[in-house]
Amino acid sequence: MKTTLALALIFTLGCNSTPAAPTPAARADAGLSRPTEVVPTPVTAIPGHEVLAQDHAPKEPPRLMPAETLIRSYLALFGGLSPQALQVRLRGTTGDNLFDTWGDYLSALGVPDYAVDIPRAPQTNALMLAAFERIGVALCERAVQADLRGAVAVNDRVLFRFELPTPTRALTDEEFAARFDLLHRRILAYPAALAPDGRIARFRTLYRGAVERHADAGARAFNGPEAGWASVCEGLVRHPEFHLY
Amino acid sequence: MENRRRTFLKVLGGAAAAGVASQPLFRAFADPPAASDEFFVLIHASGGWDVTLSLDPRNERRGIIEPGSTDTIDTAPIRRWRNAPLDADSSTFEIYRPAGSSLRLGPAIGNLGDMPERLTIFNGLAMNTVSHADGTFFAATGRHLAGGKPIAASIDTMLANEFGRESLLPTVSVGYPSTYVGNELDARVSPLRVNSVDTLSKMLNRGNVNTTAVDRQAVTAMLTEEARDLAARSWYRDEIEGFGLQLAALPRMLSPDVQQIFNAAALAAAQPSFFPSPGLRFQNRAGVNCAFAVEAMKRNLVRCVSFASASHDTHAANYRSQPLIQQELFDTVAALVRALDAAPHPTLTGQRLSDHTHILLVSDFCRTPQINLTLGRDHYPNGSALVISPRFVGNTAFGRADDDQLLPVSAGMFADGDRPVAPPDVLATFVAAFGVNPRRYLRDGDVIRSLLRA
Repeated sequence: MKTTLALALIFTLGCNSTPAAPTPAARADAGLSRPTEVVPTPVTAIPGHEVLAQDHAPKEPPRLMPAETLIRSYLALFGGLSPQALQVRLRGTTGDNLFDTWGDYLSALGVPDYAVDIPRAPQTNALMLAAFERIGVALCERAVQADLRGAVAVNDRVLFRFELPTPTRALTDEEFAARFDLLHRRILAYPAALAPDGRIARFRTLYRGAVERHADAGARAFNGPEAGWASVCEGLVRHPEFHLY
Repeated sequence: MENRRRTFLKVLGGAAAAGVASQPLFRAFADPPAASDEFFVLIHASGGWDVTLSLDPRNERRGIIEPGSTDTIDTAPIRRWRNAPLDADSSTFEIYRPAGSSLRLGPAIGNLGDMPERLTIFNGLAMNTVSHADGTFFAATGRHLAGGKPIAASIDTMLANEFGRESLLPTVSVGYPSTYVGNELDARVSPLRVNSVDTLSKMLNRGNVNTTAVDRQAVTAMLTEEARDLAARSWYRDEIEGFGLQLAALPRMLSPDVQQIFNAAALAAAQPSFFPSPGLRFQNRAGVNCAFAVEAMKRNLVRCVSFASASHDTHAANYRSQPLIQQELFDTVAALVRALDAAPHPTLTGQRLSDHTHILLVSDFCRTPQINLTLGRDHYPNGSALVISPRFVGNTAFGRADDDQLLPVSAGMFADGDRPVAPPDVLATFVAAFGVNPRRYLRDGDVIRSLLRA
């Protein structure tokens, strides 16, 4: 028995012994060296591939964002609320008829109803775009009311996390572009500078048109900058790039 | 052995001959054009109607049949009720026979009784179910539920797939049992299912307190340009171009003219005949849906309008209102026919909408021939359907239920033998009336050619 225990102890100690890592000098002595780094080679440098055409074309057409993803995007972008809480906020208490209930829009948004085998809508239609507009207007106008009308610190705002000049004056092109870029990054998820040429100018024209139309708005209606940023916001949440991927 | 082989060869030869002979039949079902001038209204009389008061009238005690009587029915509002003796202290009704017609109708038929030449009635439909859900989908799809789920496309989806692919709204389904099942269906014809026409109104309605329609139109115009630019840069242009075209169509969708058809008050003003005074007690929503159908079809915005009526499910003392529920529904359908008569076709100059609009009414099943202990009627596996279509022979009743038990009896020889008529036959005949091969959508059902106009 004693012999068996002694042998087991010796065996265990032997298993736990870790050999010391060889030093660089020892490695060199042993003829080991760092493996050669593989240098990237362009495909055209490979013999026989000098004129090889590379296909960068997209392999399938843009698809419609699933309605559930769309609704979740709305929830995330406009305050991170639950659907019910956002519905309450969008309906408001002022009787300005901006929103009804999510349930009223589900069918038009293309949400499937598997109880009766109604599949999700794979393509847009005119009524769906009308629903996009109805919801987009409600989201953006409520965001303007919350962010630009209230005395909310910039970092606490839901969407418009930038200052507007006080006293109110027209924004320069650069000032507009910087603020537009913030919204563009937040809603379309990439810098406005990377968008196709003309997008910033097009949104600037939209903004200025709304500002001019609302220059002498009444107390309840949006003033110029509010209407302008509401229009820019609507343009982004109704943009083809927001709905197709 | 030799004898069996000979028999087999004979059968094989007969089958081949039958196959060759049947070819012209299927050639007749060539694909119709996607765009069409036909419109459809599909109505589901929900809850199961009592056909003994209207389409398959019974006014005698016979077998297990207890006819509707002054004991069980509130007869005062039923305009066509004429007392006929039943027993010492109660009366039943006289069968209504329209002048110049062979049809026999019950007192609940309402104003439809004035237009027998337009009615094609199916009686003695073998529903083979007394479940609301099963009967509802069987009537609309021609297939019973499997595992509680519908397994075939509904009639409105079939018709939209054939004729409504290019429509702005292929199918608007207001509570109708619309289903979208099958590999042949175009993605565009998925039914737009809503609880009421007003729901669509909500989608098109806009507040004008903070911003105005001009502001929104500016956004839409800018997005249309963006879509055009993106499409020009894209490898696959169709989707983005389509998006842009739909954006460009949005102002039309939001125009006051189109918004009116989704607004119940505006519909009531445009089509007052659907809202008689005093008001309807049960079928006001059916009136809204019919008014919507007429106004939307006049503008060529929709191909199929399908909706469910108020419930006919009257198990207890509420059975007293059963004939009124039906009368209001049939009055509304009669008003629909007259409104279609008065409306010009949107694309065919000089023609009426009624010349190209086809109406189909079905229900879950019918109600028991007996009166139960709570003075109502329960579920019964018989049924009736009604077609109003210029493609059908009017003044006609096809099929029948037996005299003693109100159960379906043979309606003649079908491809699978002598049997009663069933919902798949109704649906197959309905789609075949427009040149559609029923086998594209329906596993079962024969086309009853004798009901179709040449």
